[in-house]
Amino acid sequence: MVRDVLPEATEEIAEKTDLYVTYHSDARHLVRLMQCPQCSKPFSTPVTLPCGHSVCRSCLPASKPRANISYPNTPDRLIGVACPLPQCGAEHAAAECNVDVTLTKLMELLKYDISKHRPSAEDSPMLLEEVLRDAIDSPMEEKDLVLVVQPRSRVLHGGRLVSTFAMVELGELRYSSELKYQSLSASGDDYYDLDVAILERLRDVVHKELDCLVCYNMMLDPTTTSCGHTFCRRCLARVMDHSSACPVCRRDLHIPASLQNKGSNTLLNSLLAALCPDLVTARKRAVEAEEQVGNEDMNMPLFVCTLALPTMPTFLHVFEPRYRLMMRRCMEGDRLFGMVMYNKTSAPQGDLGPTQFLEYGTLLEIVNYELLRDGRSFVETRGVGRFRIRAHGMLDGYNVGRIERVEDLSLSEEGSLEQTETTAAQEVAEEFSRDYPDAPLPTPVTLNLHSTQELLDNCMEFIREMRQASAPWLSARIVQVYGEPPEDPATFPYWFASVLPIAEEEKYALLRTTRVRERLKIVYSWISRIRGQRWPSGSSCSIL
Amino acid sequence: MAALPKRIVKETERLSKEPVPGISAVPHDDNLRYFDVTIDGPSQSPYEGGLFRLELFLPDDYPMTPPKVRFLTKIYHPNIDRLGRICLDVLKSNWSPALQIRTILLSIQALLGAPNPDDPLANDVAQAWKEDQSKAIETAKQWTAQHAARPTA
Ligand SMILES: [Zn+2]
Ligand SMILES: [Zn+2]
Ligand SMILES: [Zn+2]
Ligand SMILES: [Zn+2]
Repeated sequence: MVRDVLPEATEEIAEKTDLYVTYHSDARHLVRLMQCPQCSKPFSTPVTLPCGHSVCRSCLPASKPRANISYPNTPDRLIGVACPLPQCGAEHAAAECNVDVTLTKLMELLKYDISKHRPSAEDSPMLLEEVLRDAIDSPMEEKDLVLVVQPRSRVLHGGRLVSTFAMVELGELRYSSELKYQSLSASGDDYYDLDVAILERLRDVVHKELDCLVCYNMMLDPTTTSCGHTFCRRCLARVMDHSSACPVCRRDLHIPASLQNKGSNTLLNSLLAALCPDLVTARKRAVEAEEQVGNEDMNMPLFVCTLALPTMPTFLHVFEPRYRLMMRRCMEGDRLFGMVMYNKTSAPQGDLGPTQFLEYGTLLEIVNYELLRDGRSFVETRGVGRFRIRAHGMLDGYNVGRIERVEDLSLSEEGSLEQTETTAAQEVAEEFSRDYPDAPLPTPVTLNLHSTQELLDNCMEFIREMRQASAPWLSARIVQVYGEPPEDPATFPYWFASVLPIAEEEKYALLRTTRVRERLKIVYSWISRIRGQRWPSGSSCSIL
Repeated sequence: MAALPKRIVKETERLSKEPVPGISAVPHDDNLRYFDVTIDGPSQSPYEGGLFRLELFLPDDYPMTPPKVRFLTKIYHPNIDRLGRICLDVLKSNWSPALQIRTILLSIQALLGAPNPDDPLANDVAQAWKEDQSKAIETAKQWTAQHAARPTA
């Protein structure tokens, strides 16, 4: 299908025009984003507080000793600052109230650009009338009280944005106030073009200045550290996976990698949303695409570590930075990832060649995620399926793969297989005993003679024997973790492999099976071996 | 494979558009994370006049972890060992994601101008440097002439 590029381009222009119309008609809102909520003047050397709000450094209340704080016990944390913002009201540690480097520079640039657009001649008169927010909100009875504060008005030039900012600089527009605009132009011009010209500039300054030092992109959800440096929220989180130091000034940040409870920079986010909403959307989409590995079906994160089994729990202690990131992404997504074992012998793995990991693995679902303060985590998972890796790649330091689920045959196929196998074994057995009446039946034949249920019953019998012999691998503690043996022949082998202390490489064989009988026979072979080793020695616990 | 992160694309672009004097870094066509690097020996150092070849590789989790850099040209220097490995704090514990290929190569160039035998990687060279500095510098000059000669056109 051939797509015309024209409609899309037009749409983009329309989007931008919408933006300008919005800000021409709501210049007040945009200017408020450059105004300190405390002193109502343009921001001067702003500080961004741990709650994500900003005020001028000179507008921070005096610090005072904090009561009943003993952790973290550094002298600068024992001094507190009462947050001046009514929507927060918390007491912040003085150590965390530092000048916001990015915001300070940005405000200076915006101020400079607006001053450059100040008209040289007084030829664009407009009447600006302050509308007190309190007067709007208050009920009639209280009006007398509110009227003590008089709304102000002025005639200014340069379009809505420039004149609104001028009023703020004059200290005549309260942070909470709205504005009414009335053009005094003889020709009825509402100075829309003047607003578009300055908006174009401001938009440019904001998106150039808010470039993240970690990813070299426009900041996505900017988040400011206690030392006053700002990064994309996800970039800061990734940095914290590796080190607790600020990438710019190397100060120790003491923030957990999840950034839980850490507010994003409210003002920078609002400025981006106001001036560059199209770029923010594009950036969000790009990040989503990036995390999808660029190839939509190579989307299964692979944890190369240990053997995990379907239906059974697997417990992980995650400390490697790349896996911290992977777990966080899983938690934000569908909570699923693939567990594969190391390929210790570098044996070729089907079409994949001698990969670092084995080609069959278990799909795990996170059921419990406990994040520690230092960024490590304890993860409890449950096996929800098996897979085979068909292709693999890397994403931010960890492996990802395109997987194909490994499923058991249908029950009807399983049934007819049981029939064929047992019937054939019957015939072989009869023939064998005719020919060699004194010899015992070969093991494969004995195995095939058993019905699937008999195979399971024999396994269960072995468990009972082992319990009577108090085998340590069947202790109460282990049963508490893995549960009682399941009576379903399909899942019993997974339980058995989870509790039995034999090499993981042997248990791995279960992941490749597609037939229940096949799995039970593998278990059976382990049991026969244990019995064979146990009985001759005469001791019930020589092996296990 | 994952697409090349925007950051690496931007760094590469900038390295070719605004090159650092005395340093070049060019990625391989078939592996954009692997760079052929050359550094001119700084003037007034024993490496003056030499052209040193290095390899630089950006690991999968770059910039969370530092680039891997190694000298390919033989060099007599107390902080660079026989295999070309470099003892430089910003390549190890002092790495920060705010650093970049450009700043790392500048640090390496600066290291050539200021060998530090008190924090050695090549112990024998450091020992020689401490015992008889002028002799060590002479050796470094000889090695430079022998191994780091510029290709003559
Ligand atoms: Zn606050
Ligand atoms: Zn203020
Ligand atoms: Zn970023
Ligand atoms: Zn910092």
